[in-house]
Amino acid sequence: MLFVTGPLYSGKKDYVKLRFGWDDTQLASHAVWDVQELAAQEEALEALADRLSAHEVVIATEVGGGVVPIDPQARRAREAAGRLSCLLAQRADTVIRVFCGLPLLLKGE
Amino acid sequence: MMTLVVGGAASGKSEYAESLLMRLDGRRYYIATMQPFGEEALARIRKHRAMRALKRFETIECSTNLLSVHLPERGNVLLECMSNLAANELYAPEGAGEAAYDAILTGVDVLRRQCDALVIVSNEVFTGGNQYAGDTDHYLHLLAKVNRALAGRADNVCEVICGQAYYYKGREGAV
Repeated sequence: MLFVTGPLYSGKKDYVKLRFGWDDTQLASHAVWDVQELAAQEEALEALADRLSAHEVVIATEVGGGVVPIDPQARRAREAAGRLSCLLAQRADTVIRVFCGLPLLLKGE
Repeated sequence: MMTLVVGGAASGKSEYAESLLMRLDGRRYYIATMQPFGEEALARIRKHRAMRALKRFETIECSTNLLSVHLPERGNVLLECMSNLAANELYAPEGAGEAAYDAILTGVDVLRRQCDALVIVSNEVFTGGNQYAGDTDHYLHLLAKVNRALAGRADNVCEVICGQAYYYKGREGAV
């Protein structure tokens, strides 16, 4: 599994499409994105990470920067999103961070 | 040559960007994009102008419409900060509004042709989620799109963290 992370709107999906030569339809069948939004609704993050890892490509947006949210629910969601990304990176063969559209290899080759 | 320098608040990105141009000969221009709203902004602008004068930067104020910038002579340019310029183009009455992206990119292209080295400073504000009030997400979309386009065109792209530059593309000194 390839795990792609990066800041908001940094070009993660475009990077994946370019890397594999996929169009939007192929992207939708091989990859799953915005998985950080699934983390808050899931008690068992390990199980969620296992399920997501069945996809060829998993994409998550980094949301842990900035000030800690004042709202407890938003705080929990942000925490879960960060932990999910760590679990996905552990399961991935390759981890890429996309920054301003440019890839940085964090794990694998 | 074009270099994009990106960093968070107080990451040392401005100083690093200035240092890239300090090594080069020729006239140094600083395109300042901040709009002088209130005494705090004015004081900040005065302080920055004085600091840059010591480093022999000639300041050109441009809060919107980069196309209006005509350098008196060829030289090297520091444009700071894209996050201000994008906000001004999007929201100021004299800004380009919905045409902000095209106005900025066209302006950068024209500016590039007037100088040898162009260093553009932009802000990293994209890791705190998008649950902001009002129109902020619209602004984030614009700035991210501008950053990606500039990174694509630039010869060098770096992120400054604690004053240290990490290059995603190109290398330090290749300005």
